[in-house]
Amino acid sequence: MRRRFAGILGLGILIASAAGLGAAPALKPFERGTWQSLLKGHAGRPTLVHFWGVTCGPCKVELPLLGQFAKDHPGIDVVTISADLVPNLPAATQSMLDKAGLSSTENFIFNDGFVERLRFEIDPAWQGDIPRTMLISRDGTVTTIEGSAEMADLEKWSGQQLGTQ
Amino acid sequence: MLRMSLLTTLVLSLYQDAAHAQMSHHQHASEAACEEPTLRCATKVTPAFGPDGTLWLAWMAGGQVSVASSPDAGRSFSAPTQVTTKRLNLDWGPDARPKIVVDRKGGIALAFSIFRDEAFNGQVLYTRSADGGKSFAELKPITASNESQRFEALALDEDGTVFAAWLDKRNRVFAMEAGQKYEGAGLFFTSSSDGGTTYAEAKLAREGTCECCRLGLTFAAPGRPAVIFRNIFDGGVRDHAVMTFTDVATPGEIHRVSSDDWQINACPHHGPSLTVAPNGTYHVAWYTNGKAHKGLFYAHSRDEGRTFSPPMPLGAPGRNPTRPYVLEGAAGTVMVWKEFDGEKTSVQMMISRDDGESWSPPKTISSTTDSSDHPLLVSNGRQVYLSWMTKADGYRLTAIEDQP
Repeated sequence: MRRRFAGILGLGILIASAAGLGAAPALKPFERGTWQSLLKGHAGRPTLVHFWGVTCGPCKVELPLLGQFAKDHPGIDVVTISADLVPNLPAATQSMLDKAGLSSTENFIFNDGFVERLRFEIDPAWQGDIPRTMLISRDGTVTTIEGSAEMADLEKWSGQQLGTQ
Repeated sequence: MLRMSLLTTLVLSLYQDAAHAQMSHHQHASEAACEEPTLRCATKVTPAFGPDGTLWLAWMAGGQVSVASSPDAGRSFSAPTQVTTKRLNLDWGPDARPKIVVDRKGGIALAFSIFRDEAFNGQVLYTRSADGGKSFAELKPITASNESQRFEALALDEDGTVFAAWLDKRNRVFAMEAGQKYEGAGLFFTSSSDGGTTYAEAKLAREGTCECCRLGLTFAAPGRPAVIFRNIFDGGVRDHAVMTFTDVATPGEIHRVSSDDWQINACPHHGPSLTVAPNGTYHVAWYTNGKAHKGLFYAHSRDEGRTFSPPMPLGAPGRNPTRPYVLEGAAGTVMVWKEFDGEKTSVQMMISRDDGESWSPPKTISSTTDSSDHPLLVSNGRQVYLSWMTKADGYRLTAIEDQP
């Protein structure tokens, strides 16, 4: 009985640690079809999707500002997608997200070598320039901001979405 | 007990699924077909013809830079020589690649970038082979500065001088110390009069250029390098400019190629291309997403890069045309770029036989169903070839003039 209990306890710890990982989500792979599931998963909720990359200078400046924005606006779903397609990147990506205060948002990393196809699913006109921010309103309207976003613009949009303006 | 084993099975199967998922992610996630330093596993392949018609390739694969040659236009290759010995954090940005030039005596000059730290600061390294690619000298930094450098380009002059240009953030430090805003990077250059064994001290050609796009570099005339780059004009507008050097030590003025009005604070990762015809015509191709123009464009200049023809759009707008490359060859001016139709990537080609006044209709000359390198053109003086690395189908060298 005691052994059985210990076994169950052991399993419990395994499951709890898996659940723990869920609470502080790791980077999710962004693959073929992920964009559509992401849109479905956030349908009806104002969602900010931010594309960035660890080797992009302007991204490094913007990311902490976005971290503060996410903290200040719990009513907005903030999603980040690392769109740099480079080897051995997850650690560097996670580290930059952590430093920017974006550990607990939904964070993806491009995980398909056929990057043209991934981008085409998101926006056929997008050629890969980053940073890039897509603001998806409750009704599904998408507003794309190319390059670094002005935080004032994000504030204005979130105000409209959350009905505070 | 039964419950226990059910639970165990469940947990085990979850772990196995996760392991399988991770393995398949690994294969899909990579732009490379495999992880060895061989040509088949390369993600970036750069060609150059030697004076005797030998094709030379420099490539990045398995974290290494290697070189091999082909005596028969890519049908067979010599045993590769690995230029790097330890695994370096190579610059694998979309517009990065190793550079190679082969001089009249068969000397091979190489340059490429690495990320030297965890903040992704770059460093340009160079080396040279004096024994026909059998061995390469120890890698050396092209400049003593420790600030970030990337996107080097090499060009060879008639007299064997190797000219190098790159983007360099060294002046960011001084600007920050002075409390000034620093945008982009500086265009720096140097040259080597000993075939790429040593380079002169680096000099600034232009401050305030966009920091994450490849340069287009060639010689407009003996002793006169010409470079096209994404400049940062007033108001943060990242449009293209051309500079023709007075000589290999003296930068010239910059001239705007087109007023595309792309005001953006971002890394487009999408640089231009430049070739100069024997009669002096500059042919340029570039990507923009400006207010005035969006997409790929071509233009030419008949006054040494001072003024350019109106931009001519390239490619099918719904097919995401990217990565334009233009090269003057014996039979005319050739242009290639990539298009994507939702499933496959194709290389489109056009040729002009009247110095850029008119162009043949675009023609698909190659395609692939997985990731691919940028399409590049290379000439042996008689014929222009498409040089294209693909993950699914390997390396391809396709003679343009053979296309019906």
